[in-house]
Amino acid sequence: MRGANAALGTAGLAVFLALGEVAPRLGLVKEAYFPPTSRIADALGQEATDGAFWTALGDTLTGWALGLVAAVVGGVVVGLVLSVVPYLRDATASTIEFLRPIPSVALIPLAVLLYGTELRSVLLLVVYASFWQVLVQVLYGVRDVDPVAEETARSYGLGAWARTRHVLWPTALPYVMTGVRLAAAVALILAVTAELVIGAPGLGARIAVAQSSQAVPDLYALVVVTGLLGLLINLGARAVERRALAWHQSVRGEVAV
Amino acid sequence: MRRLLAGLAVGTFLVAASACGSSDDSGTSDKGTSSGGTTTVKVGIIPIVDVAPLYLGQKKGFYGKRGLKLSMTTAQGGAAIVPGVVSGQFQFGFSNMTSLMIARSQNVPVKAVANGVASTGLAGKDFGAITVKKGSALTSAKDLEGKKVAVNTLKNINETAVRESVRKAGGDPSKVKFVELAFDQMPAALDGGRIDAAMVVEPALATVRSQGGTEIASSLVDVAKDLTVAMYFTSTQYEQKNPDVVKRFQEATAESLAYADAHPDEVRSIVTSYTKIPAAVLAKVTLPKWPAEPNRASIEALEMLGEQDGLFKSAPDLDELLP
Repeated sequence: MRGANAALGTAGLAVFLALGEVAPRLGLVKEAYFPPTSRIADALGQEATDGAFWTALGDTLTGWALGLVAAVVGGVVVGLVLSVVPYLRDATASTIEFLRPIPSVALIPLAVLLYGTELRSVLLLVVYASFWQVLVQVLYGVRDVDPVAEETARSYGLGAWARTRHVLWPTALPYVMTGVRLAAAVALILAVTAELVIGAPGLGARIAVAQSSQAVPDLYALVVVTGLLGLLINLGARAVERRALAWHQSVRGEVAV
Repeated sequence: MRRLLAGLAVGTFLVAASACGSSDDSGTSDKGTSSGGTTTVKVGIIPIVDVAPLYLGQKKGFYGKRGLKLSMTTAQGGAAIVPGVVSGQFQFGFSNMTSLMIARSQNVPVKAVANGVASTGLAGKDFGAITVKKGSALTSAKDLEGKKVAVNTLKNINETAVRESVRKAGGDPSKVKFVELAFDQMPAALDGGRIDAAMVVEPALATVRSQGGTEIASSLVDVAKDLTVAMYFTSTQYEQKNPDVVKRFQEATAESLAYADAHPDEVRSIVTSYTKIPAAVLAKVTLPKWPAEPNRASIEALEMLGEQDGLFKSAPDLDELLP
């Protein structure tokens, strides 16, 4: 079954690439704006031989990784603290609902003023966008704790730390992992956007240069790179999720009994 | 949109500046980082042909021999450059004259220090032009009445220039419908018929030409003879605190501009180091002029037109703005 799926997936991609090659050559779309697949692949090959490309890739990944780590750590810590202290949760709920919908890109002017085109500008946007993904999942996850399990743990005399460790955290973890997966994707989007708009070094800035240089195949090649990056990040996040939750079904099964 | 961001940015800055003074690292970055007698200054630029003299001057050692090292920071458009310079993230920046005058008229403390780039002054042979698609019925700027014309930023230098071309051709600029579009998107929009004309600059101009598009007016030439299009600037605060660095930057830039003007081949080759303009396009690009000194008369003409079009709240004082 898995093999068949993989074969179908590959075939689909091959058809897509072939269409990309044929359509511009037949004149269905303008070659100047939609270069054939082979020319994009060519441009991609040239990028790969350019040291500046790898530096840009490194810059983007650095912004992504640092931002994601900060957002995940911040989201989990703040989420747990808010959940555990009921007053705090009530006091912050409306503030969170107010701040959360602010699109991260709206903070671009602020980022420019504070940090110019440095990495810190990228981090500001990435952390702001990804933090909420994690925080909200943590809040939902904690709310999902089975009250019977919680009461049982209490009556067995487990302290706050032990209950967090053995009851709350295992329940919340699947939510947290979902949050991390979403945050990983959002972080990449924001990192590239920040580079593209602000001009902070990275793949986004390189796309901007290709764009203003009228270097269309290079532009597409770089877009393909960001796409591949997104794919890898998603695959990685799923792998991490599977590992972290390998125990999940069995544990929840026992709790439910 | 970009104007909105820029406005928001400048506004935010003014609030921030009055509320809490300058941020912690503006104190240290004021002088740039010095090591071994060399001062490193950050320059906010747009990665286009216009700034080639800086790269060339750096390579030729014009800055080095004056104890300066340029750290070029590329930004997407002027929206990030003016606030970046004013907040001390960059010591110098590159911006078009209209943007600088608008900033000055809104009391944003910018000070032009060195010439940036100028029009070639030759109609039909400039680096910017109003272009129309191949076979278009529009043949002069007067025909633009009632038509959709793309400029990269509304209410800025290129809109002023197009208006002046229309006026000079005997048309009424208030009847032109301006739309905002990035230079690099103009050739496709023109070709696809989404706009009737576009005010493009290189390298998009070369792309339009390669598609058979034609020029109907050289707008930058229409504004004034040898128009000073853009300049390098700093913040008044930085200028007052570091007159020596500013002076060295001025001298080195003047030398670089003169060198670039005299060596177009070297310009074309250095452009490939910081842009991705394809070689075939680059060969056809019309280079701008790089006079060492700004042309005050042309800036006054630009200011007058800007005032006429209502770009400024109050007319900027050129004595305060210009070096």
